[in-house]
Amino acid sequence: MNSTDLEPLIYTYLGYKGVQPDGEIDRHISACLEELEKIQGFKYRYKILSDIPAFLQKEPYLSFLNGCSAIILCVCTLGAEVDRKIKYLGRADMQKSLIFDACASAYLERRADDFEKGLGENLTYRFCPGYGGSDISDIRYIFGLLKPEKIGVTLLDSNLMLPQKTMAGVIGVGKTAKKTCDNCISFSACIYRKEGTTCYNSAKR
Amino acid sequence: MLQLGKKVIVLDGAMGTQLEEAGLSGSPEDFNITAPEKIRAIHSSYSAADIILTNTFGLNKIKYRGAFSIEEVALKAIENARAAGKSVFFNIGPTGAMLKPLGTLSFDEAYAAFAELAEITGDIVDGYFVETFSDLYEAKACVLALKEHTKKPVYVTMTFDSTGRTLTGSTPEIVANTLEGLGVDALGVNCSLGPKEMENVVKRLLAATDLPVIVEPNRGLPELRNGKTVYGLGIDEFEYYIGKFVGMGVSVVGGCCGTTPAFINAISKYSGRDVAPRSVIKRTVINSATRLVEIEGVKICGERLNPTGKKKLRDALLNEDYDYIIDEAVRQQEAGADILDVNVGVPKIDEPRVMAEVLRRVQEYSDLPLQIDSSDKDAIEAGARYYNGIPIINSVNGEESVMERIFPIAKKYGAVVLGLTMDEHGVPRTAEERFDIAKRIVGCAQSYGIPRHKIMIDTLVLTASAEQKLVKETLEALRLVKTLGVKTALGVSNVSFGLPNRGLLNKTFLAMAMACGLNMPIMNPLDGEMTGAVRAYAVLSGEDENSEKYIDIYKDFTPVASAAAASARGEDKSAATLYDCVKRGIKGRAAELCEEELRHSDPMALVNDVLIKALDEVGKDYDSGKLFLPQLVSSAEAAKAAFEVIGKRLPKEGSGNGLVILATVKGDVHDIGKNIVKVVLESHGYTVLDLGKDVPAENVVGAYLKHKPLAVGLSALMTTTVKSMEETIKALRAAGCMSNIFVGGAVLNAETAREIGADYYTKDALEFVKILQTLKKQVL
Repeated sequence: MNSTDLEPLIYTYLGYKGVQPDGEIDRHISACLEELEKIQGFKYRYKILSDIPAFLQKEPYLSFLNGCSAIILCVCTLGAEVDRKIKYLGRADMQKSLIFDACASAYLERRADDFEKGLGENLTYRFCPGYGGSDISDIRYIFGLLKPEKIGVTLLDSNLMLPQKTMAGVIGVGKTAKKTCDNCISFSACIYRKEGTTCYNSAKR
Repeated sequence: MLQLGKKVIVLDGAMGTQLEEAGLSGSPEDFNITAPEKIRAIHSSYSAADIILTNTFGLNKIKYRGAFSIEEVALKAIENARAAGKSVFFNIGPTGAMLKPLGTLSFDEAYAAFAELAEITGDIVDGYFVETFSDLYEAKACVLALKEHTKKPVYVTMTFDSTGRTLTGSTPEIVANTLEGLGVDALGVNCSLGPKEMENVVKRLLAATDLPVIVEPNRGLPELRNGKTVYGLGIDEFEYYIGKFVGMGVSVVGGCCGTTPAFINAISKYSGRDVAPRSVIKRTVINSATRLVEIEGVKICGERLNPTGKKKLRDALLNEDYDYIIDEAVRQQEAGADILDVNVGVPKIDEPRVMAEVLRRVQEYSDLPLQIDSSDKDAIEAGARYYNGIPIINSVNGEESVMERIFPIAKKYGAVVLGLTMDEHGVPRTAEERFDIAKRIVGCAQSYGIPRHKIMIDTLVLTASAEQKLVKETLEALRLVKTLGVKTALGVSNVSFGLPNRGLLNKTFLAMAMACGLNMPIMNPLDGEMTGAVRAYAVLSGEDENSEKYIDIYKDFTPVASAAAASARGEDKSAATLYDCVKRGIKGRAAELCEEELRHSDPMALVNDVLIKALDEVGKDYDSGKLFLPQLVSSAEAAKAAFEVIGKRLPKEGSGNGLVILATVKGDVHDIGKNIVKVVLESHGYTVLDLGKDVPAENVVGAYLKHKPLAVGLSALMTTTVKSMEETIKALRAAGCMSNIFVGGAVLNAETAREIGADYYTKDALEFVKILQTLKKQVL
């Protein structure tokens, strides 16, 4: 894992306004990324569907998927060990916990992106239930189809997932769509947007 | 007749693959009733196997969503499996739900689901085949349910990924030690991998247990072809690997996903062959779900989770303030403990319940194996039952009635037992007498089926001030006990009781004891000189090869005198003053510098002139974008460490700024923001009661009523959980909460906060503190 290109995103998560290289934090980041590699917790579960399933036959999914030749449903996670590590560090060393947490989020995004590269050339970003006014409980359909419990992911009654470092989403095949803030669930309250940055690497895809 | 462990046994192949072949889709278990002839035909097609597994993999009340009752399906499934005319084992798969804290299912709920199956089928099957489990804790619930309801053999296989771990992070050694301890008849690996990818796991299982080992691979790794999962490994290759496994000493072989009758026919030639002999070294090993510790060389058992003489811990246990207990556990782990002793013995406490709860909470944060320390049999049993892994039980002694009470528990849960060389007559004076008791304990343990490697002996330390001559008897007894082939333990710091400069005596005695064969000092790991002595001993005894661990820990070591010189030169990491320490976020030295400054400063002056001033500076820099969250947090941690020192000097009343209750609301599991608020509040001298995450409204209300805090802080990440935040606020108001309710979290803003009835929205931790301070001024 090349840590230098993940660093801008990690610094953003840590609340830095633009990249402010900091020797000591850099060292912590490298150590955390190394540890994440060592834990080898990344797991991905997906299904490629040629037709749009019923639960996506509505807005905003239809606009998002318009022009796609197929769709991918996915759930991916860094697993229980990463969660436990964040928890432990939260008690042992809060600063490291914070950095490890930010690194884990960025690392999960990266591993998912890399995995998806193997699934097809032209893909949209991961659109998650809850985006653009969609109902977050649509995630239940994704769970029904993918059985992510097989990779250790649990859906709580509140529609949040355990472990914490888990993502679920819908990807369109045969179309590129860059991630934008417009349909984000946190649009109005987003701390990154207020700072003029984004929580994602906007150059991606 | 099956001759498990002597002759190779062949299992049947995949059921799912055959159902698909037969054109059956839907709830697989229901076909036992709706298409019995097809199920029987599948079973019969596997008649080359010695054991047929019932078509009941998904049949438990948590997972099964079919059309019939569990009992109907189970009974019919057994009848169908009998059609092949072979031994029938009832197949049990996992519930599909994750156990707490990784998921939402409780241990008892999982246990009940499996117990139901055992009750229905106990008399009419030949055994149980528990397979494809990926969580050790769930496997434990299942094995206990079966062992407590039937006498039939229990075979258990777990599934490992390509890194050689289960989904929840258990290695083959951890799985083998735990399942062997729980008394299964055979254990092994199935599913997820093909035979080739399984080889390493198989080798490790064979080396870790002398129980019969089961291997049930998939037909290679699955590939996706035209949207369908296919398994492509050829029969010859499959058979080649099965042959190889049999040659390595595997006792039971079969096929998992993708295998067909042709595969089982091919490997049936191994049925009845002699199981290849192997020798397994028996070790004294304990484990949590993700960490295994072998008692070999010297391993540190942290003694601090014991309320004897510790008022704070005693209060924490009585108030069930698990926060304090978890912190104490983590501190010891950070300091280098390998194992943690847990003792909750406080008068009038519900010891079994609290023991189980403390173990559960500590295990959520620390992966160190634990030692259950109690004289209450029920507390020991509750601890051993709910502990995820194999613990140490502390303790038995030479008294018959004590061994009678404790050994059956140790046997049932596979625990290692610590035996004290004393009996109803007290602690014998001579080494020989203590050795005799040790022999008695080892002998009695064996009569309960507890092997020697599951016993450790403590030859008991008496204080040098009262019994100076007996110190050497303890050491001599250690030497004698080692000849029994058991590992040893000592509570070393007893030796110095009643004498000045106890640290010096403890350290010296520890070194002497290690040289006499002490394996597990039970000691305070926070004492750097003691842990240092253990690390140094590991170098000098040759255990720490090439002094690697020692060098890693001490590579940056500078003696105290030169550290002061370095800080005078302004070198990094050695702040000269407490102010610097907080300003620059150097947590490590804050407590020490605070002690130093307290020698010539008034505690309150230190708070106002140093800590608050430094924190204000940090806050200003943070607000103006000169400092960022990681630095803010490390400054807060440094200040918090200093506050802890100052808190001890101040009179109890008025020592702090007041109590704040924090919780991440029900349904929400993202709590890093709340944790930051906690540290920052504590750094400003507030006491925080952290209720954790996913906290139901009634718990917040309960804590409010009990403590009447200065403020309640609630966090939520998602829109969906903001609803739960609103409900929590309503419940608080209904209970008459006049405290200030603060809310924060990613999707919140001042407007939403008002809408849901909160008093304050704070965008970050510092703002929380600022508002609290303003409120305080208003009150004054």
